[in-house]
Amino acid sequence: MTNYGLVIDQERCIGCQACAVSCKQENNVPMGQFWNRVLTEGGDKIDTPSGGYPEDGGSGSLDMEYQPTACQHCENAPCVKVCPVNATYTRDDGIVEIDYDKCIGCRYCMAACPYNARVFNWDEPEQMPEEGTGDVAARPQGVVEKCTFCSHRVDEGLDPACVVNCPADARIFGDLDDEGSTVSKYINEYETDQLLEDRGTDPKTHYISGEMSPGRPQTSDKMESELDDVSPWSDGAEDVPSDADGSDSGDSGGSHHSIESDADPHVPAVGSGGDD
Amino acid sequence: MAADSSRIAIPAFGTKGKLWLGLLAAIMVAGLAAWGYQLTTGLVATGMRNVFSWGLYIMMFVLFVGLSAGGLIISSAPKFFHSHRYEGFARLGVLVSLACITVAGLLILPDIGRPERLYQFFTSPDFRSPMVWDFGIVILYGVLNLWYLWLLTRRDLAARGSRLALGVADTDAGRERDRTLMFWTAALALPTAVALHSVTGWIFATQIGRGDWFSPLVAPVFIAKALVSGLGLLLVVSVLADRLTNYEVDREELTSLGKILGIFLALHVVYLLAAERLPHAWANHFEFWAITSSFLIGESVYFWLWTVVGGAVPLVMLMIPSLRKRVSVIFTASLLAVFGTMFEGIRLVFTGYEVANIALPPGISTGGEYAGITTDIWATAGAYTPTLVEVAVTLGIVAFGALIVTLGLKYVPIQRVERPESYATDGGRQERQ
Repeated sequence: MTNYGLVIDQERCIGCQACAVSCKQENNVPMGQFWNRVLTEGGDKIDTPSGGYPEDGGSGSLDMEYQPTACQHCENAPCVKVCPVNATYTRDDGIVEIDYDKCIGCRYCMAACPYNARVFNWDEPEQMPEEGTGDVAARPQGVVEKCTFCSHRVDEGLDPACVVNCPADARIFGDLDDEGSTVSKYINEYETDQLLEDRGTDPKTHYISGEMSPGRPQTSDKMESELDDVSPWSDGAEDVPSDADGSDSGDSGGSHHSIESDADPHVPAVGSGGDD
Repeated sequence: MAADSSRIAIPAFGTKGKLWLGLLAAIMVAGLAAWGYQLTTGLVATGMRNVFSWGLYIMMFVLFVGLSAGGLIISSAPKFFHSHRYEGFARLGVLVSLACITVAGLLILPDIGRPERLYQFFTSPDFRSPMVWDFGIVILYGVLNLWYLWLLTRRDLAARGSRLALGVADTDAGRERDRTLMFWTAALALPTAVALHSVTGWIFATQIGRGDWFSPLVAPVFIAKALVSGLGLLLVVSVLADRLTNYEVDREELTSLGKILGIFLALHVVYLLAAERLPHAWANHFEFWAITSSFLIGESVYFWLWTVVGGAVPLVMLMIPSLRKRVSVIFTASLLAVFGTMFEGIRLVFTGYEVANIALPPGISTGGEYAGITTDIWATAGAYTPTLVEVAVTLGIVAFGALIVTLGLKYVPIQRVERPESYATDGGRQERQ
């Protein structure tokens, strides 16, 4: 079975907010709302460190880290268990998703989520530009919405927008049930934490801290599993998958490269990288 | 055929009665208008936002679920034990319970973002959700109250020819049979009441993400709180009905129930609260006085309003023998107990939302009106003040509850009268169908 998860290397994260912005753009997230946030661990304000400068007798203890936070797609998701009408559910591939046609807007899931990952459309959502952005239909007033791991992209074999657009290769998406996937390898190899582990929600988002991982260079906006399986890649043939739907968000040139099925993810990006 | 054994509290509405009904109607119209406004603008009309996503409606829901306990328990517990104690409160109690559970149920409506989809509770329920359990038990409890009130009064309704008897005849055999039915209804009502308050508590107590909500004590505390506030409200309403209508409160029973309210207060505000706070205070502090002060000193004004104004003060009033027999003292103590319990629910919701588990800057997007580039859409902690719209909607629904009680006093023989008296009070008007 497929069980999608995300590894975020906090040592690689540079706090550029590209994931937060591309999430908002890709998912048509209304003004005043964020599904994905890059929080600052340090001072009282965003992008400020704690501690003092190492000059004029200062402590020299400046410290700052970033905490990218969105829906953690928990195995034991409290939001799924509390939803009275099955509007929030776990897909077969592990993604926690909301049926916006079912949601009654009771906001019990917001009370249940320890991560404050969910937002509610308190009024008629406002998009800018008005016609909206990205590839996801706007949600109506009165429902709860949140990160879907870009399930609309995953269904097309593409990585989530936040992963593709991370310039620091700090975000890696893949199948936790596949022993050979980069996410699985990294969780085994590096020291990883889950957010608020003590709550027992068992998130499918894992954070690397302490030792920096090599990341997974984003050479295409296709998912890792697609890179492995789609054969046209290796023989240099036209790389558009057979269902020919890959052209909406990227162009065909983006994946013209030499990654093989056993490609070491440590290899730096070659040639043209992912687009978007 | 049986003699009429009951009295109507409000035979006809006088000027004051009509003014009261007019006032209730005005408040309900204002509430409806406010709800209409909220439906068109969205819940942005409330003070709730992403960080603090439940507010006044849920706080008052918690209060009114608790308030609905007293009457049913006071009238069904003695029946279950084949006792005639507090007989004078039985019907009024069930009427007040019915009104309160109706208010509680209605308070959920304006809290729902898309109320037109509520049918999903029936078509697509998830039985893991405590809200589904609560939905079921609130409806069951409401129906049970309605049935019980009718069962308690139907023979008397028949005796006075009321159409509310729904065709039931007033016969001695029927009254005898009803007594058996009342016993079985009481036997069902007691566990249902326990389930109602526990399940409502579990809505909060099952949540690992909201501070003190996740505590096994929440359900027992909800039961204790229901006993305190429910009995408190029943005493308040009975004294008011005694003063304002033909309903007569039995002084001896009133004093006795006042004492019981004192016991409930001691159980709830002293014992259970201490049991909840002591382990935390002990584990989090080292010095003796640090432990003691953390145990005794609350963190917010809501805590003090609940424990002192709604707890210690009425408890002392009901403990002093020279005071506790006075109707005015019982009335005031009961009123304070209800008032204080309201702040317990408010405090519970606040403890869940005012601190975010991950409170790093910039924080959580609050949602709601986006008013331009300078507006800060972020918050690292929850803050909440209800808007006028929320207050108006809530008052409108509470006014509807008051209307139920008022109409009940008018159309349901709320007072059971000993048979010898019934001839004198009721002129022997008897119609049979």
